[in-house]
Amino acid sequence: MLIFEPHIHMYSRITDDYERMALAGIRAVLEPAFWLGQNRTNVGSFVDYFDTLIGWERFRSQQFGIHHFCTMGLNPREANDDRVNDAVMEILPRYLEKDSVLGVGEIGLDDQTPKEEKYLLAQLLLAKKHDLPVLIHTPHRDKKKGFLRCIDMVKESGVPMHRVLLDHGNEETIKITRETGCWQGFSIYPNTKMDPHRMVQIVLEYGVERVIINSAADWGVSDPLMVPRTATRLEQAGVARERIEQLVWKNPLGFFAQSGRIDEAALLRPANSNLRETFEGNSVLRGQDPDRV
Amino acid sequence: MNAPLDLLRTRLGEAAPWLKDQDAEIAADRRRLAVAFPQLPRKVARSQLGGGLTALGKALCDLDGWRRCDAAAALLLLQCKVTDAELVDLYAHGDLEERAMLLRSLAVLPITAGSCSLLLEVQRTNMVLHLEAAICDSDLLARTSAAKLPNFGSSDVDRLMLKVAFLDLPLRRVFSAEQLANIELSRMLQDLATEREAAGRPVWRDTDRMLARAPVPGTIARLLGGLEHGDDGRRLAAAEALLVLNRPELRAFAAERLPREPRPEIRAILQRLPG
Repeated sequence: MLIFEPHIHMYSRITDDYERMALAGIRAVLEPAFWLGQNRTNVGSFVDYFDTLIGWERFRSQQFGIHHFCTMGLNPREANDDRVNDAVMEILPRYLEKDSVLGVGEIGLDDQTPKEEKYLLAQLLLAKKHDLPVLIHTPHRDKKKGFLRCIDMVKESGVPMHRVLLDHGNEETIKITRETGCWQGFSIYPNTKMDPHRMVQIVLEYGVERVIINSAADWGVSDPLMVPRTATRLEQAGVARERIEQLVWKNPLGFFAQSGRIDEAALLRPANSNLRETFEGNSVLRGQDPDRV
Repeated sequence: MNAPLDLLRTRLGEAAPWLKDQDAEIAADRRRLAVAFPQLPRKVARSQLGGGLTALGKALCDLDGWRRCDAAAALLLLQCKVTDAELVDLYAHGDLEERAMLLRSLAVLPITAGSCSLLLEVQRTNMVLHLEAAICDSDLLARTSAAKLPNFGSSDVDRLMLKVAFLDLPLRRVFSAEQLANIELSRMLQDLATEREAAGRPVWRDTDRMLARAPVPGTIARLLGGLEHGDDGRRLAAAEALLVLNRPELRAFAAERLPREPRPEIRAILQRLPG
């Protein structure tokens, strides 16, 4: 079964992860631009990070046969930081035209401040202008209120609900989102957010229509194999393979294909994994003979 | 009348008006170049351009190695008279494909300090896709070498040719590369070959062809040894190299090999050796 991992921060993962992901059937990943664990002090750090997402990280991924895509945006935490917020907004239009950029994200609310709302709205309008879907990060604290506010702001912006993925959902938020027409994301974590067992219960109760699961793996305690692990749990719970395939492949593909930038036929083949190639003087192989790897 | 511009416009057909519109937008706001450039594969397509060997102004290009978006990139950059600063910026913030389009376009753009800096960057980065785009299927490297710009000296040319060998790209795709042969480059290539052989790793097949144009100590022995190699390609390269070397005193070695050489094309070359 092919898997599209629609939210993972490979920037903070190692090559072993890529190899295990490929072995577990993950054929494509989407890496949302995010907060790096500490605030950046100038826009140049964002430029370098964005260039990494469309360059080095994509190259690294391809070496393991995994297609790499991303979304670009100003995350809500740093939307609060006046050292960078306006300057990042200025450079975003250029990056939103890159071929591997399939959406605006992850944008949204975190502490739910007026500044976060200002830049969320501005980026929703950018998504309309560049004809891209939107990946919205929802708050981890005061979540229900944050979800409702995000939905209101999407409506205010005029972005159609079917072009919006509200991420980091749980048992409470699905009651709010299922009737809105937006896509509902669930980040499966080892301990927090959502876990495989709870996700099975949600699928059994609500089905898989417009539901997307991801690992959101990053530099914290997280697991890049959470999507295949959850798929296995679903099958063991008696969920039909076609529905699991819809959940882990067709749904994320369908959502991000709204960008018009995915060649679905190309995804049926592994990405170019020419291990002889190096990038900007760096070789993942570090001088090993590729024919002997 | 600008021949490359006209030819590219003709070849791009129905995409040319969209590119003309982009040019107008860029003229109004130069920042539009950075937004228009990434759109080229989506707007113009990635399919092969085709057309074979073609003179584009002073450049000789094999358009069979170009895609339509490469041609569109070249046209866009020519139309807007891209500056060195813009060229470097597009490369620095381009994705892998944008960089390849940009590098292929260099063949038809003026040779400047900016274009030289991109060649130097490609030499450093070690990426096959980009090295091919920059110096294969055109005579850009030979023309850039001849231009003798201050930031692109003979050692830079040598390093690029060594990278061609390091990444195993065919010499025939670097047009006029034989003009670039020199003693220092031969030393580098021969050392690389020796190092690879010592490690049991593959050697660039065109090594002998370049060495023959600027032989260094050890080259003749290497070429004669090549005539006995078990690999057909290596023997062919050695025979061709001996022909270029044009040394009558080596005829006897070729004559000794001739009756045992199974490949007719190699036998034909050995029979043409002077002596």
